[in-house]
Amino acid sequence: MSEYTPTVTGTGAKATVQRFGGYLAGMVMPNIGAFIAWGLITAIFIEVGWFPVAQIGGFGENADGEAWTGLVGPMITYLLPLLIGFTGGRMVHGNRGGVVGAIATVGVIVGTGSPMFLGAMAMGPLAAWIIKKIDEAVQHRTKAGFEMLVDNFTAGIVGAAMAIAGLLAIGPIVDTIMGWAEGAVGFLVDNSLLPLAALIIEPGKVLFLNNAINHGVLTPLGAAQSEDAGKSILFMLETNPGPGLGILLAFMFFGPRLLRPSTPAAVVIHFFGGIHEIYFPYILMKPQLIAAAILGGAAGILTNIMTGAGLVASPAPGSIIAYMAVTPRGGHLAVLLGIAVAAVVSFVVAAVLLGFGRKEPKEDEDGTPSSSEDLDAARAQVADRKAASKAGVATSESAPPATA
Amino acid sequence: MTTIDGSAVRKLVVACDAGMGSSVMLASTVRKQLAKNGVTVEHTSVQEIPGDADVVLTHAGLADRARGVAGSTPVVPFNLFLGDPAVTKVVTAIQKGQTIDV
Repeated sequence: MSEYTPTVTGTGAKATVQRFGGYLAGMVMPNIGAFIAWGLITAIFIEVGWFPVAQIGGFGENADGEAWTGLVGPMITYLLPLLIGFTGGRMVHGNRGGVVGAIATVGVIVGTGSPMFLGAMAMGPLAAWIIKKIDEAVQHRTKAGFEMLVDNFTAGIVGAAMAIAGLLAIGPIVDTIMGWAEGAVGFLVDNSLLPLAALIIEPGKVLFLNNAINHGVLTPLGAAQSEDAGKSILFMLETNPGPGLGILLAFMFFGPRLLRPSTPAAVVIHFFGGIHEIYFPYILMKPQLIAAAILGGAAGILTNIMTGAGLVASPAPGSIIAYMAVTPRGGHLAVLLGIAVAAVVSFVVAAVLLGFGRKEPKEDEDGTPSSSEDLDAARAQVADRKAASKAGVATSESAPPATA
Repeated sequence: MTTIDGSAVRKLVVACDAGMGSSVMLASTVRKQLAKNGVTVEHTSVQEIPGDADVVLTHAGLADRARGVAGSTPVVPFNLFLGDPAVTKVVTAIQKGQTIDV
């Protein structure tokens, strides 16, 4: 259909980080339903939950004096890492890779004490990659009629070997790395340095690294912490809908007049639907507003540290509804406060940066600080295209100053 | 410049980072707009843009990656998830069977 497409330039640093992060997130995101199931069961049925049930929540003993296993422990120890290991393997080598990845993941699970999300994210794809290479080497040599035998046994042998390797070697290594990561997070929390994370998280989000940051890094760490402590603040770092809400509200009242009508819908989609991507373009249009997101995010994190707020599981998507569903009993006020503080701070800062709408007609085409050259290039491209075709509609700052 | 022949578009793909959030939202909007035109509207992650897509819509921040995956399929970047002129232009072109440059 098209004879010419512009040169492929998907090699920038941003694209590389996005791709790697997207890869990590891609192992977690398809399984979020399982995380939510675990989070709901935990929030409701554990000993300190809304409706404690020993048999489900896994506390207390049955009539014979045996401890209840419950669903909570097995789900986070086995089900969730296995799903991640399977998904990671499937991304590399289809269902066959998924199966071998899951077998290998059992090794790291059994080899350690803590939930092995990072181990699963390493073992699943690694084991699948090995069976993929073996398939490539073996398949064309296999005699007709022996394919099934060879396929099943190569998968079985590689899976068994990787499970043992995971148990004896890789599990302990990942456990050590997890220990470092948890120690680093603990240090940041104890010294109230965690709000600084907003400096990385908020700009990262706007560059579409939101899934990579949250599901690639914070969800696995948070789930491990949540199993120990019953809740984790790490789930709230990236997912707090407060900063985005503040920015959208500031746009609604003080933003460029052409954009104001679309913001109420964006607020609903962002805050209740949990699709944070909806506010990224508003920041990309006025890059200085990233300061509002950072300060709002940092204020929210600081509030959460002070109130000891935390969530049981990752609120995905980052909607207020998902937030309330995975808040532990008794924690709702603190969680809501963290969101409200973030929203107010980001709203006030964004309103100031937008000049309370007074300098709204002014154009800020050049001279605005930009966070990324790629971004500028992308926006320039878009501007070119728009200018070439549609001179009348000016919705972004890169369009000619017809907005005024 | 790439051209899109609106009357030849059979499959439109909306791509986002995970293929689960914003792309689903925009795809459902576009699907409604193109319901009468016999165009399949799908949402995927930018890594999994299918080869049989006729046109790809994605956010400007993801356009580089989308182009790397989409090959010769035209990728139309947009800035706003609600009411972006680039999206409107593609939808209108398909509805009216016009040829446009993107």
